[in-house]
Amino acid sequence: MGSILKDVELKENIPTTILFAKHIEFLIDYGQQKDTYETVMTDYLKMSGMYWCLTALELIKASPFPKNDVVEFIKSCQDPECGGISASTNHDPHLLYTLSAVQILCLYDSLDAIDVEAVTKYVASLQQPDGSFAGDKWGEIDTRFSFCAIATLSLIKKLDVINVDKAVEFVKSCMNFDGGFGSRPQSESHAGLIYCCIAFLSITGRLDIVNRDNLAWWLCERQLPSGGLNGRPEKLPDVCYSWWVLSSLAILGRLHWIDKNALKKYILACQDLESGGFADRPGDMPDPYHTLFGLAALSLLGQESIEKVNAAFCMPQSVIDRLQIQPQMLK
Amino acid sequence: MHGRLKVRTTEEQRLLKEKENQKKLVAYKQGMAFILSTRKKDSYDPEAFAVSSQILHANPHIYTLWNYRKESILLEIENYKDKEEELVKFLEKELDFTEQCILSSPKCYSSWYHRYWVLKNHPVPNWEKEFKLCAKYLSVDDRNLHCWDYRRLILNKTGLCLEKELEFSTERLNANFSNYSSWHYRSTLRTLDVESLEKELNLVQSAVFTDPYDTSAWFYFRWILNHKEILEEKLQEVLESLKQLEELEPDCKCILMAKCWIMDTLYVKDEDQKDDINEFYQKLKQLDPLRKTRYEDAIKQKNS
Ligand SMILES: [Zn+2]
Repeated sequence: MGSILKDVELKENIPTTILFAKHIEFLIDYGQQKDTYETVMTDYLKMSGMYWCLTALELIKASPFPKNDVVEFIKSCQDPECGGISASTNHDPHLLYTLSAVQILCLYDSLDAIDVEAVTKYVASLQQPDGSFAGDKWGEIDTRFSFCAIATLSLIKKLDVINVDKAVEFVKSCMNFDGGFGSRPQSESHAGLIYCCIAFLSITGRLDIVNRDNLAWWLCERQLPSGGLNGRPEKLPDVCYSWWVLSSLAILGRLHWIDKNALKKYILACQDLESGGFADRPGDMPDPYHTLFGLAALSLLGQESIEKVNAAFCMPQSVIDRLQIQPQMLK
Repeated sequence: MHGRLKVRTTEEQRLLKEKENQKKLVAYKQGMAFILSTRKKDSYDPEAFAVSSQILHANPHIYTLWNYRKESILLEIENYKDKEEELVKFLEKELDFTEQCILSSPKCYSSWYHRYWVLKNHPVPNWEKEFKLCAKYLSVDDRNLHCWDYRRLILNKTGLCLEKELEFSTERLNANFSNYSSWHYRSTLRTLDVESLEKELNLVQSAVFTDPYDTSAWFYFRWILNHKEILEEKLQEVLESLKQLEELEPDCKCILMAKCWIMDTLYVKDEDQKDDINEFYQKLKQLDPLRKTRYEDAIKQKNS
């Protein structure tokens, strides 16, 4: 008897310190490669890619990108008709990239570069009668978009333009038997969507609807013997889930329910010794997405050489403080 | 970004790849520019539509191209207003195309949503066919969230036959007890009463007895136990069987935890049992050191 546990084994020669210089090099390289097939093929998420790179650099206190170029790029991605922001020029506006753009502009304290009023209208227009949010005008519904909407409006201080109670009601209807949340009512719990819903409830101050200990148990059970966290039962560990699970536990005041040292060891092992950057698992290709979430998780674990990160927004705490936003955090 | 193993390549391989990619880059850019140039027009351009198929085939994540296709489809729906047969033919071709994209990238949000969107705009959607498609994909990967979620969307359209869905869920569980997605699905089907709770308890007990180290079923176990309607005698019975299982598998943390859940419910005020429960948590700390502080919190809570 005994099922095969899905996990990875950490090898002997793994990095055990944070390779700051390498990561800066990796992130800058990524931002500078222009016209290759690989970069053009990821244009459909370029705005989020920039948010990952710039936030990661900010967390390790390096921000060498020319602010003007970034701001000009974001301006060029705002749709003059609907007010939403696209992933890149020649792509369509979507809530996912509207949030990424607003996050970058908050980082740079440059919100006034875009038409904020138009963003407000765009987000409000996507709320549905049941309180949920569509990602864009084509109508896909997902709790990810509920989070994008609430986070965007909170950052631009316009939460009052939507029906927050209805929005909360919809998120509540996505709660499952295990205390977790899925993308729509009755969809299976998944750490990424749990983060979206818990961060949503933190920003709206409605963590009272959460079944805290049940959910926190499910979340801390994500830690595997390698120290890494997975996103659902019987799945492999992954650095990005270190962030989704850890930030949710932090908001719920249960960060101490996992073994911090073991997780730290796993995240450090996912660094790429040659090129810098973090991968999902040791030995895989690094990318900016896992690099941001690796660094942000290390920050939540108390790594002092990294800027403090806000668990609900995945942005530097100093930026959230400057904006005077106080998401709810349970003790 | 996920599960891409880093492979070493020789300089020669790298140059070859670069050359290939350069060609692909030019083709992609030309294709995108061509599609965009036709996009603002008020009629559908079959040539540009075909180019978007090629690009999406290589990368179904380019959501803007799916949007472009939706615009074209709406134009065609208008165009074929009085010719349903032709419209159906056109839409069926689109469904076939989404299936190819789903097959090559089963975890791409855009292709799944596009398929659903096409069906919503289809004059005579064949929902039954969609259940077969889901069954096919679940047989390849029974944890694919996209497929489960898609199936739920289709059910919302057709209406749910509880008996059929219970049978479906039992079949999936019998195929694999360790499938968390199937346990989750089962939990969404109905509100449980005393009678059905007992049945569920028997089912989940047989699962944990089959493999006590598999955590999936234990989450369902706990949820069932949390129902206040379960009779005390039944709980006693379960506790006894857990004790037997523990004798076979003394180092299995889930068995100990389940004992704690039941004893916490059965002996809320019984001081004699408190020491036993404390002892279980102490043992849990040793068996499962990663979550040591969680058990310490439970002990503190118990004794406060
Ligand atoms: Zn990941």
